[in-house]
Amino acid sequence: MTRTKPAAVEVRGLAKHYGSVVALKDVDLTIAAGEYFVLLGPSGGGKTTLLRTIGGFHRATHGEVLLHGREVGHLPPDKRPTSMVFQSYALFPHMTVMQNVGYGLKIAGLDKASRRDKSAAALDMVGLQGFADRKPHELSGGQQQRVQLARAMVLDRDILLLDEPLAALDAQLRKDMCLELKHLQEKVGITFIHVTHNQEEAMTVADRIALIADGDLIEVGPAREVYRAPDKRFTASFVGENNLLTGKVTAVSGSEVTVDVAGEAIKVDRRGLDVTTGQEVSMSVRSELVRMSLGDTDDARPGHALMGTYNEAVYLGLTTSHLISVAPGCEVTSRVVDDLDDLPAHGAPVRVYWAPGDLRLHTS
Amino acid sequence: MAPHTPRRADGPPVGTHRASMMDRLSKGVFYLPIVFMMLFFALPMALTVVFSVFERTMFWMEPGFTLFAYENFIFSARLTNFLSSMYYSLISVAICFVLGFPIAVFLRKSVPQVAQHRVVLLFILPFMVSEIIRVFALRPVLQRNGLVNTTLQNLGLIDEPITALLYTHTGVIIGEVMSFLPFIVFSGFLAMEAVPKYIFEVCDDLGAGPVRRFVDVILPLAAPGIFAGCVFIFVNGLGVALLPNILGGAGAVNAGLIATQAIAALDFPLAMAVSAIMMTTLMTLLYIGHRLFDLTKILSPIN
Repeated sequence: MTRTKPAAVEVRGLAKHYGSVVALKDVDLTIAAGEYFVLLGPSGGGKTTLLRTIGGFHRATHGEVLLHGREVGHLPPDKRPTSMVFQSYALFPHMTVMQNVGYGLKIAGLDKASRRDKSAAALDMVGLQGFADRKPHELSGGQQQRVQLARAMVLDRDILLLDEPLAALDAQLRKDMCLELKHLQEKVGITFIHVTHNQEEAMTVADRIALIADGDLIEVGPAREVYRAPDKRFTASFVGENNLLTGKVTAVSGSEVTVDVAGEAIKVDRRGLDVTTGQEVSMSVRSELVRMSLGDTDDARPGHALMGTYNEAVYLGLTTSHLISVAPGCEVTSRVVDDLDDLPAHGAPVRVYWAPGDLRLHTS
Repeated sequence: MAPHTPRRADGPPVGTHRASMMDRLSKGVFYLPIVFMMLFFALPMALTVVFSVFERTMFWMEPGFTLFAYENFIFSARLTNFLSSMYYSLISVAICFVLGFPIAVFLRKSVPQVAQHRVVLLFILPFMVSEIIRVFALRPVLQRNGLVNTTLQNLGLIDEPITALLYTHTGVIIGEVMSFLPFIVFSGFLAMEAVPKYIFEVCDDLGAGPVRRFVDVILPLAAPGIFAGCVFIFVNGLGVALLPNILGGAGAVNAGLIATQAIAALDFPLAMAVSAIMMTTLMTLLYIGHRLFDLTKILSPIN
């Protein structure tokens, strides 16, 4: 017996204008209950605005927000089933950890004993048992964020909003905290909506990712899909390390499109997109799928390879990126795991190629 | 009073010692303010107390020990006036706080960070006009046939002009609020630095209303700064003779005016005694405040 549960969050035609500045334009989005959802995008792209509008900290210019099927546009933050974790600077400096976590419960009118029990349980959940009597300034950045988490979760609201919660932490700590957030969400099972501009962070935690830039919702999809099969050009440029090629369509035959890139006819799958001959299109291929060879090789099939000159190698530890110039102003990166002992000389002619199907066509 | 002579009249250093001379000079520069303050602040303050027990002569005073000046102060209308000026200063402090502190909170909370300091700057503008002119300009506004009274009469709100606005405690309070309001804005603005950026939004999220927010969050965090601003206004309300001199009247005086009047009457020990009593009041207040809030926190950012 299944009962269709309303989505945790449903956003319809939501827009937010600040005077003449449009921070968010007509966004539609549905987030299922129990999902770990990430809003990913460059700074100033509108993702925080969207999160804050969901939380009730902003009033939308138009459009509506439904939480569990209920319109909440008129409700203040504390009357919504959401609670928020801020970037930083959000703890009460004069209260102990325990008082910080229990403050929301105190406002809700809980008695002292149940406040203490619930707060202690919440602190336990975020791994801060034994820190109850510390003051915020005695905690590290990561611990402070955990206190915020506990303070938000103790309220038993079932949508947790996280506004760049790890941005103020250093890289290693951020990685650890990412995993912890993910595990925490799996354990408590409530909906997490997490804003970040860091794609690695997004990939680590997300069930699904929404890409937001310039106030637009660009693309929504499962984390893996957004990475492996980006639909939009922007997604390809923002997620992962994609090579972007642009050119004019010279022929369309069935599902195969031929594009002229720097004088070479490149073949690419049409993906059901609307393409006409003569149109300017973009294509992307992830740098780890691009191979490089100095001489002729059977692997490089015509239509799936470009000639270029070798520029330089960038050693990144685990991987090495080889930069190959294929046309003036167009560089292709080939990322490989194994170290090459003898690198090609600068300016040496090289061929870059990829397997058919690795190149993706984008019309927008 | 000794004329102020420049302490370091050294000419430009010469020869090979130039560098080390400059070194020593630049180190000395840091001690100059201390020397200045010792010489022209701490020493006169101490002398005030000493002089207050001197014997009064016709035009000055002579060394001795007598508590006559204190007796004169305590067993006369002066004590009553002093105490009532404390009371009315407190009222001014309260009015300044109620009017001024919300401005400071609003500044921190609702004005974009880049514009905040410019808005604070607006509150410095009144100081571009000399205080005596600012205060004196209140007279045509508050007097019997002044702006306030004529306006209210023309509007038909009152029949008889309100005479309590000028040459009374009310007049002094109005003047004090006008003169000292900026200080509570400044100190409140500084005090609000102790309140972290996202706290108001957290309060929104937790459902803390304005009263809770003020009592549970803002007050405990901003208390040292608020206290400092309030003490400043209180002490000035007690000590600035100009305000009751221009706006006050019979009985509406403050400690500063009592001292000024004593000087005019050539009773220097009495003037010194009043000053000493004011200083003691201030020290006591600061001590209490320090014990309560740790005033060293005022300028130190949180964490």
